[in-house]
Amino acid sequence: MSGPVTLTRFARDRFAGLSRAWSQVWFQDSPTSPLELTRIGVGGALLLHYALAIPHLFDLWGDAGWMPRDVVLGIRDPWMQSVFYYFGAPWEWVAFHGLFLLCCAALMVGWRTSWVKWIVLVGQISYDYRNPTLTYGVDWIAASLLFILCVAPVGRALSLDRVRAVRAVKVRELDARLPPYSSAWAGACTRLMQIQMAVAFFYSAISKLGAGIWWSGDAVWTVFTVDGYYNRIILDALASHYWLVNLATYGTILIEIAFPFLIWQRSTRPYLLAAAIFLHLQFALLMGLFYFSFVMIMGHMSFVRPEWLTRLGAAWKRAIGEMEMIYDGRCGFCVRSMVWFLAFDGLGQIKTRNFRTDPSPIVTDAQMEKALYLVLPDGRALPGFEAYRYVVPRVPGLWWQVPLFYVPLLSRLVGRPLYNWIASHRSLLSSMEAALSPGHRDNSER
Amino acid sequence: MIWYRWRQRLTYLVMSAFVAWHTLAMVIAPAPDSSVLVRTLRAALQPYLTFFRLDNPWNFFAPTIGGAQLRYSLEDAAGAQHSFTPTEQLNWFHPDYLWFRDWHSAIADDPELYADRAGALLCRKHAALRPVSITFVQYEQRSFTPADQLSGKHPMDPEFVRVNTVKTVQCPAP
Repeated sequence: MSGPVTLTRFARDRFAGLSRAWSQVWFQDSPTSPLELTRIGVGGALLLHYALAIPHLFDLWGDAGWMPRDVVLGIRDPWMQSVFYYFGAPWEWVAFHGLFLLCCAALMVGWRTSWVKWIVLVGQISYDYRNPTLTYGVDWIAASLLFILCVAPVGRALSLDRVRAVRAVKVRELDARLPPYSSAWAGACTRLMQIQMAVAFFYSAISKLGAGIWWSGDAVWTVFTVDGYYNRIILDALASHYWLVNLATYGTILIEIAFPFLIWQRSTRPYLLAAAIFLHLQFALLMGLFYFSFVMIMGHMSFVRPEWLTRLGAAWKRAIGEMEMIYDGRCGFCVRSMVWFLAFDGLGQIKTRNFRTDPSPIVTDAQMEKALYLVLPDGRALPGFEAYRYVVPRVPGLWWQVPLFYVPLLSRLVGRPLYNWIASHRSLLSSMEAALSPGHRDNSER
Repeated sequence: MIWYRWRQRLTYLVMSAFVAWHTLAMVIAPAPDSSVLVRTLRAALQPYLTFFRLDNPWNFFAPTIGGAQLRYSLEDAAGAQHSFTPTEQLNWFHPDYLWFRDWHSAIADDPELYADRAGALLCRKHAALRPVSITFVQYEQRSFTPADQLSGKHPMDPEFVRVNTVKTVQCPAP
């Protein structure tokens, strides 16, 4: 009797051990921040790339363009689908291209991410399959990364969706904080993207190891003699110092073969990541493969450890120092403006003080009646427009406002009077806002 | 409570099945079809790989690095020849540099599929020259050594290229 019981217990222990290992590899609770970096980069790269295709839209993917529809339908596999197979009128191409570009922009900034990412994936696949002659490495990696982004819970950090979620919490309570998102599924999707990058490097190395030109160490020379990548200055340098060709050829193989094996270890990851990024920067600068290199580097962002980003954020916060914004809590318009402003402060760099309930020892109430104030660590107090102008470049979530606040002369010329007018009319603006949205809660006196 | 626990287990199972399936797809897609195992797995994965455009070889610049340039010559109504090297007008920093090069490769590699449409488009583009025909010519690059570079030669010099006539396309009568 004890034999089968022992065997059952052994099998159960083994299974439990395997199950734990499986969960450890795939389902560790993780934030989405590495995937968000990929989302921002891939979204931006696709936006720029396809925006530059606007003048060639009908040449590249139209029925009267380079690839006749009957040709592509004749050579395609039934599982290859493209929305362009079903279009008839030119406006449909234009409308889809416009929608696709808007969705790329939305993906980049993380607005309505949960559904725009699917439109971007459908678009990428549709462009590829409508004219397969145009696809090369970047289209392979872009589609692969987009698919993983689609199944991943992206948009939960470094995004407008996150800003909206934080705002929704702060509307109820200005000092409330929304905890950072993390989940086991985010960890699994990050792992999938890491495996995708490792697989790409592994097979790239394997294909090179099977080629004589790479074994002989001459591949990089040949690349730069090819018409598409010809560069007289580089070729002169390589011809004079041919050992550089051997070094670059074998170095490329070495990085590509080492990457899938050494990228997983905590101690070697920074070096392998740096080497892979260095390799792609070379492709961009020396071969003009800017789009490809950028998308590959964004794929590598999945290897960025969330704690690196946390440490970077903490270091930034320390370097900038604490900032305290003092506002008028009796003014509904001011409070709602603060809610929006703070929703972009992902690092929590700005502290707030309502002078009506908690007077400042530095700024008098009389001063506060005129404008919002920002108190800096050294005790300086900046009023109104100058306060915003100081904060914007120091809070990463507000960097998009830098062009508005830092246009030489114009920003101050327009910004100061505009701020002063708003500050002096804030009661009127609050009552107008209340009248326009009768359902809103009065946030004053917090 | 029991339903919640079972739902959690089911979710975990579905997530595990998906990551296992997708990882298998990522690994099998570029694998050479030399073994029965790979061929069998590929047959099961192929619809998924194709539909989501995941079927990628990842063989950058291997096994060969081929260099070629497509040019075309236009014959006008008077019988005069006009030669064009389209890639010379392209900007290295713009994506159309690669789009046009890819299109040219497709024309040279498979003229029966692509040359007629390309010829028709070029006849229309150069209508002012009253073209009669367009002849595509591929300049295929051959070995170019460091010594050639140091002696001031260029990889596209006649001695380093083999010229192949790809196809002649007749322009429609105006």
